[in-house]
Amino acid sequence: MTRIFLAGLGLILVGNALAAGPLIRFGRGFAAEEQVWLMSARPDLTPNQGKRYELKQILFQANPERFQAFLAGELDAGTAPGLAVIFARAQGMDMKIVASICLEAKGEQYFTTTYMVKDDGPVKTIQDLKGGTIGVVGIKTATDLWARAGLINAGLAPDKDTKVVPMAFPVIGDAVRTGKVSAGTFVEPFYSAEMAKGGLRKLFTAVDAVGYDHELLDIFFGEKFLKANPDAVRAFLADYVAVTRYYLANTEQAKRDLHKAGFVRTPIDIYLKNADWKRDPSARVDVESLKRLSAFMLDKLQWLEKPVNVDSMVDLSYLPR
Amino acid sequence: MNRVLPFLFVGAVLVAWEAAARSGLWSPLLFPSLGRIGGELASFLSKPESLGEAWVSLARALGGFALAAAVGVLLGIVMGRSRFVAALLDPLFSGTYAVPKLALFPIFIFVFGIGSLSKVALVFLECLYPIVIMTYAGARDVHEKLLWSARNMGASRAAILRRVVIPATAPFIFAGFRVAVPVAMIVVVITEMVSSADGLGYQVIYALSSLKTDRMLAIVVVIAVLGYALDKAVVLLRDRLIYWEKLDTYYV
Repeated sequence: MTRIFLAGLGLILVGNALAAGPLIRFGRGFAAEEQVWLMSARPDLTPNQGKRYELKQILFQANPERFQAFLAGELDAGTAPGLAVIFARAQGMDMKIVASICLEAKGEQYFTTTYMVKDDGPVKTIQDLKGGTIGVVGIKTATDLWARAGLINAGLAPDKDTKVVPMAFPVIGDAVRTGKVSAGTFVEPFYSAEMAKGGLRKLFTAVDAVGYDHELLDIFFGEKFLKANPDAVRAFLADYVAVTRYYLANTEQAKRDLHKAGFVRTPIDIYLKNADWKRDPSARVDVESLKRLSAFMLDKLQWLEKPVNVDSMVDLSYLPR
Repeated sequence: MNRVLPFLFVGAVLVAWEAAARSGLWSPLLFPSLGRIGGELASFLSKPESLGEAWVSLARALGGFALAAAVGVLLGIVMGRSRFVAALLDPLFSGTYAVPKLALFPIFIFVFGIGSLSKVALVFLECLYPIVIMTYAGARDVHEKLLWSARNMGASRAAILRRVVIPATAPFIFAGFRVAVPVAMIVVVITEMVSSADGLGYQVIYALSSLKTDRMLAIVVVIAVLGYALDKAVVLLRDRLIYWEKLDTYYV
């Protein structure tokens, strides 16, 4: 009797697993990925989840660790800045960008990463950063790229004229105020919180630095997973686009849900007031901006040893038409 | 045979590494071959600016260690010879030994700035503990008969300290130094990984951010060699200064 019961239970479990589709082990970050988090915070918005794919989101603090987990076979997909995927492709990693999460874009309605200085300090223009230090969140990250782009545009040589030093977002505000660094990188929610405290002034933005709107964060998938599970990826992206549209139409409610689910720890009143990055409702990737970033990384920063074929790095065919 | 044995073990580890790298079980980006690491090492060593980065880290480590040695030996001996000072400081040192001082690094940045001073200060703090604790143990352990003999021969307190206590404590002091030297290297590299624009730790994080594991491991080899050389220097100095003690250990 027990054997029959266990065999029946086993069949049910196997049946459920097959019906649910493959598990997507998804490496996520801790900022600007609201639509992705919402897929787990509000699974009711994702009709395909649990039927055509299963989703398990795993938090990572930085891109190198996320890519190492991917290389070790512990992740199938994840979020990453476009430039991090350019680095990964330059090293021969088999991954493709399949959708956009958000962009650095000009416009009053959008937030763009901002470099600020002490309000009453000596730095009035970027040229005044000569001999100073800029705080960024990590070496060879997007924040590092924008800082260097801003300096180069102003005729300064990064590292030689101005040091670029990594430091954690939460301490950058006080580091600028106390003069430990001449300028610092501010993203939401730290930007709004520091502006509310006062004493800081905007020097330039990420868009000012590179001169055009460009991809900030994207979704990548491993090529093996894409080939083995194209239907699951399509279903995932159909849900992702639906959630993005929901988020754009119901931002306040979506933010409340994310806060309630523990994805965001910022006090809710500050979080609700934050300006948001530009998010494309159809999640299509601005490939041209990635090409320009890649060329800048190669020619101006010498971050790449050889050119990267950006066209082969992006595959938008899995997005809903 | 004893001299060959460590090399045999290192050789076996290298052979195992190469076999694993060539097995195809792991991505070469995660597990690069010895050839690729060796190539990156050669490239690193051939550039003068790379040697400059190594010097920056070494200077920070040695600066912090030297300060810790000076203060630590003094504190340890005073604690060992004075019950009052021991009662005052022992709870402080034993109570905070287990605290990971690296967690205090953001505070150090605010107090001492982002440059070398915050790193040297943290190295000093991390190295201070093993040196104080070992020196304290040694100074407390000086044989009573030696002290009585010195007093009977009319030695002053200063002479007893200089000619009895310090020589008797010296083996413990060097044991503390041997613990502290690798700690200094570790702390410098980690602090440079957290917040720096130069040094070997910065080079490690730069290579990691570029997904260049082979380059990162080449720098790790440089750090290991520097740590080994510093340890050997301490052992050489100890053997020269404390010639009356036979201090062979299983790993020296």
